[in-house]
Amino acid sequence: MSEDFATSFNYAVHGGLDKVLGQSGTAAVLSHMKMARGLPEPGEFHKKLLALFGKQGTISLERAIVRDLAVRLKWSLDLLDIEGAFDFDETMRAVEKGAKA
Amino acid sequence: MKPLVQVNPQMEGAGFGPSDLAETRIGTVFGLKQFMQGPINTVLIKGLAGTGKTTVALEILKAAGQGKGAYISSRVPKELLETHIPAMKETIDNQDFLDIRLEDATSVLDFVMQLTEPRKIKTIVFDSWDGLAKELEQKERLRAEKTLMALANNSGAQFVFVSEEPGATTIDYLVDGIVEVVSVDVQDRTVREFVIHKLRGTKIPQHKYIFTLLEGKFTFFGPYAVPDYSKMRKFAQRQDIGGSYSLGSRALDGLFGGMIPGSTLAIEYDENVPYTALRAIGLPPIINFLSMGRSAIFLPLPGANDEETSSILAKGAGETAVRERLRILNVLRTSDLKTTNLPKIATPREVHEEVTNETTRLRKKSTDKTVLLVKSVSALENLFASDLDSLLEVTSQEIITLQQSHDAHILFLAKDSPIRSRILSISSSYAKLFVRDGTVLMFGVKPHTGIYALQHLEDPTSPSLTQLV
Repeated sequence: MSEDFATSFNYAVHGGLDKVLGQSGTAAVLSHMKMARGLPEPGEFHKKLLALFGKQGTISLERAIVRDLAVRLKWSLDLLDIEGAFDFDETMRAVEKGAKA
Repeated sequence: MKPLVQVNPQMEGAGFGPSDLAETRIGTVFGLKQFMQGPINTVLIKGLAGTGKTTVALEILKAAGQGKGAYISSRVPKELLETHIPAMKETIDNQDFLDIRLEDATSVLDFVMQLTEPRKIKTIVFDSWDGLAKELEQKERLRAEKTLMALANNSGAQFVFVSEEPGATTIDYLVDGIVEVVSVDVQDRTVREFVIHKLRGTKIPQHKYIFTLLEGKFTFFGPYAVPDYSKMRKFAQRQDIGGSYSLGSRALDGLFGGMIPGSTLAIEYDENVPYTALRAIGLPPIINFLSMGRSAIFLPLPGANDEETSSILAKGAGETAVRERLRILNVLRTSDLKTTNLPKIATPREVHEEVTNETTRLRKKSTDKTVLLVKSVSALENLFASDLDSLLEVTSQEIITLQQSHDAHILFLAKDSPIRSRILSISSSYAKLFVRDGTVLMFGVKPHTGIYALQHLEDPTSPSLTQLV
């Protein structure tokens, strides 16, 4: 991950999780995942979320993260297909690529 | 309906006998299978302080099985909890105990994730959830609760939240089940009720149950189950207690201390008390009197089945004793009036004379010349509705006569009996029976006793009384 994208991703994870889980829930998730100091690759992050919240819970949380990231990067959500089940890792890569361009 | 009970023989002395106390698992109330495997992931247990929430929660934890539960305490340390509820010490020791009194919400949620992620824990109790949630802003509280719901759903573990908040809070809308434990004052005695408000996806056969915390254990009482008289055991004769006659049942003797010769015991009952419950109070003294070689006279309640009553008494006391030393006088049956040479329209005095004659006759056959008279006042009230003064007069005379001859007298009268207060004022002992949430309850007014749930756990003819505390 590029440094800029990593920073945005980090903020978006906090922002997105916070909207759904609240501050204490977010802090607990990140602490539990041992990610308080830094986030892993989106793919690994996805797996850890899946273990805690299951498929449906993970989709909801990841959608909140993507929405937050889109706002931060001033992207239109129309450009991202996040309705229904979507591939978080792939979406993040697309966003990172777009951000770089 | 089959009684949903599990007898704990270790409880001797707690109620009135080894099997009198029915220890029941909380899962039975919910429908164990649905609760442990079904759609109920999250339960809220509400109630004011001291109503028994923690004991109920610990019963659920116990049902999880050894090492498969966790108790998260925001109120008391483990040692103190074990002191408060010693009966649940083993359950507490067998499960994870997390003392979070000085922890914040983040740490608690992290604990929960650590517990649920390996998917080995079946039940987590949060006692109390309010203790923690009250520190959070409203929106933050809701989000923390949603996080917990998601963790419960994904892990399959059951989360039990204990709350002292009386009103509806955010968690009420999120959980699958809500139960409330309440203490109700009934005639200066406390009765605990377990109210099921919500249980998603589960059929609720009954919303309210009576329960007791006797010996620190949760025991609930299902609706009164009519006893199966085919399972009658051999009657165990009970000797006199000091100078008092035994009432033929350990439970009744424990409650009243037997009957002093010449005394009258009045049993008042609500209209919804099942006949078999009343019979369990009236028949054991008769069977015991007959077993002791004494005599008895029985005027049954209206609607009594004479053949069934005779059969039960014969099984209990033996056919010879019933034939020779018992007189069943059903005053509502014309045939009985004929056999006793009473006119078709008898007066209270004529019935009284018949009882007196029978008492004299049966006294001669009694080993110690004592006679027990068990009489339904309701039956006589129905018969002599237009002449209640005469009925009261002869009943008073009977009480005095029996007192002088050191006999024993048990009177059954309905709560709404027009001569109730006058009968009660001349009775030496007085107990009440009524039904609440389908359970038959009983307590002594004179002498004052605690309140008990009446069941038939040992023998269909005898009452089992479990104290409600």
